[in-house]
Amino acid sequence: MIRKRNVFMILLLTLIMTIGFASLAYASGAGAGGVIPAPEGHTPKLFNWYAIGWTAVNFFILLAILYKFAFDPINNMLEQRTNTIESSLKHAEQVKVEVEEMRKEAQANLAESRKQAQEIVARATKAAEDAKDEIIAKAQQEADNIKDKAYAEIQAATEKAKMELKDAAVMLALMAAEKVLERAITDEDHKNMVKNFVNEAGDLMC
Amino acid sequence: MFTFGMLDGALFHIGPIPVDHIIVTQWVIIALIGLVAFMATRDMQMVPRGLQNAFEALIVWTYDFFTQLMDKEHIAKKYAPLLSTFFLFIIVSNYSGLIPGAGNIPGYQPPTANWNTTLTLALITAITVQIAGFSEHGVHYLGHFISPSPLMLPLNLLEEITHPLSLFLRLFGNIFGEEMILAFMLYLVPFFVPALLMGLSVLLAAIQAVVFTILSASYIATATGEGH
Repeated sequence: MIRKRNVFMILLLTLIMTIGFASLAYASGAGAGGVIPAPEGHTPKLFNWYAIGWTAVNFFILLAILYKFAFDPINNMLEQRTNTIESSLKHAEQVKVEVEEMRKEAQANLAESRKQAQEIVARATKAAEDAKDEIIAKAQQEADNIKDKAYAEIQAATEKAKMELKDAAVMLALMAAEKVLERAITDEDHKNMVKNFVNEAGDLMC
Repeated sequence: MFTFGMLDGALFHIGPIPVDHIIVTQWVIIALIGLVAFMATRDMQMVPRGLQNAFEALIVWTYDFFTQLMDKEHIAKKYAPLLSTFFLFIIVSNYSGLIPGAGNIPGYQPPTANWNTTLTLALITAITVQIAGFSEHGVHYLGHFISPSPLMLPLNLLEEITHPLSLFLRLFGNIFGEEMILAFMLYLVPFFVPALLMGLSVLLAAIQAVVFTILSASYIATATGEGH
């Protein structure tokens, strides 16, 4: 099967051959005084020392020009580029190390902060605990004081009441005795009697 | 009129010294390469762009290429500029023969189609090889002429001659032959067919420039390498 590309190639070759033969016919006709003359030429003369000298000079001039405008600037640029890349890499490495250091430092700081925070919390807790204990102790003491005071007051009141009772009893006893005896009792008797009575009565009542 | 090698001889004289057509063409080529180099490196940037990038790539490519070819890096660094100059000069000279008018306009004759030019280039290579050998090995370099035995001296000397001779004739033969074939082809088949041939010539011109440069590099590498 002939493919499209092959057909194209065959057509192209035919065209070339047609043009070729046509122009060949044209040229050979033209050869005898026609438009296109036959090519002429000869090998150049060898060992043309002037040409050799000039060529050598020209070549070294070109070498010098290229040294000035190509090799030197390009070499310098390449060197500069190498240096830049090297220093960039070094810088990157340094930055990496610095970042690593900073990371470590930050981590250490974080740990330190955490520790400090824990300490602060612990201290605060302890302080609160102490304050609580103190408040409780104070309250306890105040309560005790109040209790003691109340107790003392009660005691005093009891004493006072006892005294009043005793006086009342004495008065009653005096009145009763006077009534029974119908006579005045001497002071001496009076006192002895009352005392005995009161003592007995007091012991009974208290 | 189709010509090849016809414009051989003096175009004008500077005092008693004749200036050939090929010399004028060489001047134009040198000016052209110099201009491109100047434009490329006029404002060097750290990050290369455009022409600077292209020219730098070319120079760096030749550097890398010769460094790979030669075992010793300092030798490659030392001779890479010379070899790059060979390459640029030859390739531009070769291409100058492909531009219409080459060989017909006075002062415009492709230099590498003239064997005086290629002879000069080959001689420069030959002298450079000897200088490189001496500067690298000193007097010991002479030892390689009688290595492996003094009997080999004639053959070794012959080798030193055939190397530049082959460089000289190869470049001249290829470019002169190409020009000649192009001239005849243009006469025989003026349309289309020469274009195909010119396409091939573009390749051939580049290949010949590369071949000349690589062989020069390898001769320098051999002369400076170990074993001498």
